[in-house]
Amino acid sequence: MSNKLEGFVKDNKREFEVKGPSDVLWSKIEAELDKKKPVKKTFGMYQWMSIAAMLVLTVGVYFGYQYQRTSAEILVADVNPGMGKKEVRFTSLIEEKRDSLQTLAGADPELYKQFIADMGKLDNDYQELKKQLQTSPNKGLVGKAMMKNLEIQLQMISQQLYIINQVNQYKKEEKTI
Amino acid sequence: METVYIDKHADLVNECRNGSRKAQFEIYKLYATAMYNVALRIVNDDAEAEDVLQEAFLDAFNRIADFRQETTFGLWLKQIVINRSINYLRKRKMETVSVDEVDVPDEPTPDFEETHLKVEAIKSAMAELPDGYRVVLSLYLFEGYDHEEIAHILKITENTSRTQYMRAKRKLNSLLVTKGVAR
Repeated sequence: MSNKLEGFVKDNKREFEVKGPSDVLWSKIEAELDKKKPVKKTFGMYQWMSIAAMLVLTVGVYFGYQYQRTSAEILVADVNPGMGKKEVRFTSLIEEKRDSLQTLAGADPELYKQFIADMGKLDNDYQELKKQLQTSPNKGLVGKAMMKNLEIQLQMISQQLYIINQVNQYKKEEKTI
Repeated sequence: METVYIDKHADLVNECRNGSRKAQFEIYKLYATAMYNVALRIVNDDAEAEDVLQEAFLDAFNRIADFRQETTFGLWLKQIVINRSINYLRKRKMETVSVDEVDVPDEPTPDFEETHLKVEAIKSAMAELPDGYRVVLSLYLFEGYDHEEIAHILKITENTSRTQYMRAKRKLNSLLVTKGVAR
């Protein structure tokens, strides 16, 4: 019985589809197409441009941030120009003495190692203070502590140089005797 | 009617790709009636069928770049129409409680031609079917999908599709009897 229905529908498909949509429908679709088309065309270009702009912006922001981070590091000189000069003088003096210590230390590597370790501890303190300077509310105080630290480093290295000189001299005398 | 093959209209479709309004209109004229009826059989409402059609054509024209010649343009368009129709139906289902009480269109005016009479009777009987029955029936009977495809479209099992179809047909036949149309 039921195959009759399928057959009938198949044979008379056209009969079922006499009525179509109303005549105004196309004009509605056309209006929508008009609305969308110019937008879509420029949208493609806009899209590319916005992607490019985003890229430039992202890169810009990234490097800008990076740059700011490096340049934003607070130096002692920013806190107090006098201290800045002092820092430069101390560090160059320390560097100088460290060099001569190294040349003199050849005779007694054991002693030299110990000296370096002592200096390392002080230098660590110095780096720690440098870090604190970035965030500390009382930058003047931290700056002063840094100067003190450098002064002690300088004193210490002078002492070490003196000791090593003494040791060297003693060894030399021992040989000549 | 709606299984017009792409070979016939490949040029038109290509012109549509280039955004030719004339070609779009030609395509519209070719498919509007068939697609309107596809939608109407599913949503069972003139105004909604037109809305579906409008959206489907716009969608098709805007997404024509996605259309690869793996299928015919007609079948591709029909798929869009059916999906949109079903979406409308789902939306409506959430709004109304009873789906069985669909508006019964006016009795078809008596016609002297028997076939025409029967066509109108089947149409009005289909309009009286619950949404679920009507969709399965129309997809199988009119759109020529098999149960596997219907299961895929409606996200139901193939078995459900089969039983829904059997019940729908039984219901339709009994409606036809009450309308006095010989099967």
